[in-house]
Amino acid sequence: MNVKNESDKKYALEIAPKEAEELRNAIRATSTKVIAENIKRMKKTWPNRPETMQYFDEIANFFGTREKEIREAKEEGKKVIGYTCMFAPIELILAADAIPVRVSSGWYDSAKLGNRIVPVEVCPVIRSTIGVKMIDLSPYLELSDALITTLTCDGMTKLSEILGYYKPVWTLCPPRIKDSEQSMAFWKEELKTLKDNIEKLTGTKITSKKLRSAIELMHKAAKAFRKLQDVRKGNPVIMGRDAMLVNQTSMWDDIERWTRKTEELCSELEKRAQEKAWACPPDTPRVMITGTPIIWPDNWKLPNLIEEANPQGVIVVDELCSGDRFLYDPVGVDEWNMDDMFNAVAERYLLPSTCPCFTSEDGNENRVNWLISKVKEFRVDGVIYYVVRGCMLYAMEYMRIKKALDQLNVPVYYLDTDYTREDTGQIKTRVEAFLEMLKSRVEI
Amino acid sequence: MIELIGEILKAIIIIGTILAGILAILIWVKNQTKNITYLRTLIQVAFIPLIFLGLIVGPFGLPQSPPAGNAPREVLLGAENLKGWFPDGITVPVLACYYPSGRTVTCAIWQIQSYIYPFWNPGLGFWGTFYTNSGIERLAIVLGLLIAMSLVLGRFFCGWICPFGLYMDLLSNIRATFKKGYRKFSEKTNTAIHQLRYVIIAAFLIISIIFGSQAIFGLQLVSGTQQGEYVYNYFSAPYCQVCPMKPLCVLTETSLGYMDPAYVLESTTGAFYEAGYFLTSLNLAILVLVTIIALAYRRFWCRICPLGGLIALFNRYPPFKWASITRLNKVEEKCTKCGICKRVCPTQVTEVYEKEGGDVTTSACILCLRCVEMCPYEDCLKLNVAGKTIFKSRNWVNSR
Repeated sequence: MNVKNESDKKYALEIAPKEAEELRNAIRATSTKVIAENIKRMKKTWPNRPETMQYFDEIANFFGTREKEIREAKEEGKKVIGYTCMFAPIELILAADAIPVRVSSGWYDSAKLGNRIVPVEVCPVIRSTIGVKMIDLSPYLELSDALITTLTCDGMTKLSEILGYYKPVWTLCPPRIKDSEQSMAFWKEELKTLKDNIEKLTGTKITSKKLRSAIELMHKAAKAFRKLQDVRKGNPVIMGRDAMLVNQTSMWDDIERWTRKTEELCSELEKRAQEKAWACPPDTPRVMITGTPIIWPDNWKLPNLIEEANPQGVIVVDELCSGDRFLYDPVGVDEWNMDDMFNAVAERYLLPSTCPCFTSEDGNENRVNWLISKVKEFRVDGVIYYVVRGCMLYAMEYMRIKKALDQLNVPVYYLDTDYTREDTGQIKTRVEAFLEMLKSRVEI
Repeated sequence: MIELIGEILKAIIIIGTILAGILAILIWVKNQTKNITYLRTLIQVAFIPLIFLGLIVGPFGLPQSPPAGNAPREVLLGAENLKGWFPDGITVPVLACYYPSGRTVTCAIWQIQSYIYPFWNPGLGFWGTFYTNSGIERLAIVLGLLIAMSLVLGRFFCGWICPFGLYMDLLSNIRATFKKGYRKFSEKTNTAIHQLRYVIIAAFLIISIIFGSQAIFGLQLVSGTQQGEYVYNYFSAPYCQVCPMKPLCVLTETSLGYMDPAYVLESTTGAFYEAGYFLTSLNLAILVLVTIIALAYRRFWCRICPLGGLIALFNRYPPFKWASITRLNKVEEKCTKCGICKRVCPTQVTEVYEKEGGDVTTSACILCLRCVEMCPYEDCLKLNVAGKTIFKSRNWVNSR
């Protein structure tokens, strides 16, 4: 545990190096097992899984090729910038020749460690990330030279403070109201500070040429992502879990290679759609997940349950900031000069966000719109509203989303859980009951 | 010497127009993602010869006195048939002066102002135009046509046809080639600026009516005005003395050879209302001012343009609003409120972003369709003409 300054350990508890090492090794071992197991289960559910998925399986391994790659790139002098939230402007990081990696954690076991510092009522994503840092588990968090944390919810706010004892942390404070002029001005100032910080760290000036190529790179990624979405609109040719994994790998993979591989996967899937080689029977209930981010590898509980349940469901779309929200919106640049590109990047990360940390007179209308249009586009049969215990903002928005979806006559199921494996049995029963109900609706 | 300058200018403008047209076609074919803007530029450029060369309607009352030139009388169509109806050319709600050769099209504002003077009488024509209808009849025709055009296309004229709009776009492009960013007014200021056009409309109508009071009510408010006579000072068409488009019109016509540059120069000296037969110093000053502001603020003039205000009056306010057929529509649920439409709008219209779905056309919107082009969500924004979708937003990420 490399604390910046010994006297600064306001939050961080002493943890004996030996204990930390033991815990790290133990959790690492379970985690490797869990990753392999998850991939095995995904293969089992989808017997004719395409070869192209192999690449994503490889990248999905936290302690594998991608870690080595980043380590090598770091030795060559590249900087790694971690981010906890999708508000971090990837384009700016890419333009400074740094490697963006998402560091919020999905490890169950480390959440228990986090309990030593923050109370158990806190959202497990936060607790788990703290725990991961305590024992230096996540390779991406360890490799990052600086962290961009976004002060969205209370958990994220304090998380940035705690992580600040270990790493340089650049906070990004999104205004809680998006529409007003002063919010936008404030947000742009925040990003300007961030840009200066990135430039200082990497020693690379973000020129308009570099920013432009970064934006175009992300456009290409968005194009590949949208292709994958289009494929999922029809009868299922890809299981939801696999698509979620593909989306999630984009958060730590080399984005250019990811785009290429995703395009390959999409053309393979398109071929399958023509051959009518469905991944599961076309009458499988089509499920949408919305709510708290679901993070690979441990927190694959819910997707696993849905797609392995009896009757089976298939996740066709999700509204998770760790999933289909990540690459959904492109940066729309009007004139390719620095000003406009910067404004475009700033607006792209604030305005279309459906994060429940925002409020307005219409009450986060964005999110409702997004859900409604996706329910229609993807012919969703039922929505699972996934909330981890402690995620107040998502939990509080449930009623509003339910009312909007009720008008479309789409059943919503509120599922709350924690970073634990113990409730798998109960959740399985609940999910299966919901899918049973959807199945009977589909058959009617 | 002056003829030589005229010849050179003429050559430059003709070659430039042709080149711009070819360039627009080439870029449009090559870069499909930007096709609305390039299609728009193409149409704007294509309308330049139609407006300034006068290819549709006849050259009624060819310039007789010194500004005489050689308007292409032979190639003009419909010269005789429409003479009685549109003695000064067809009313079009774009900034194109009454100078343009052959008077194919005429700016509606000039007609409205100058037809108020004679009111009950035909009045005196200009450069050989002979009016058969009385002023009020001509005014009715002009307003009727203006209202009809506004109802059908609305401010589509501003975004796609108006030559001054092309000039505004050109200034933006010049700024963009230097990699300089544009500036924006705050929303409050912008709304205030947009209201300025109604003040301008009111001002020139009031001045026109005061000067035409002898003809209208038989009450002489200003000395020197006579019944049915054009008043020969430069408040006769008051707006035209401040219009920034007039110098550009004169320049174009001169360089095309339809006006005598020597005559124009001779008549453009001295105090602004005495000697500025073609141009007043106010024209030039405002053109310079607008040019400078428009380099920083996109489509600046279009925000305060009184002609645009007139179109908006006949298109966006009841009862005309209910009958207008060109509308920008938004599908609320497809919108993620990403704000691109708000940022790319050259006149800073916020309603497209803010309003919930349905008709989002506003009086400030010049229908340039930049928002439709830049909206990254399939079918979210649409331009509907009489219920038919002409343009719609596409998933432009896919064509990258």
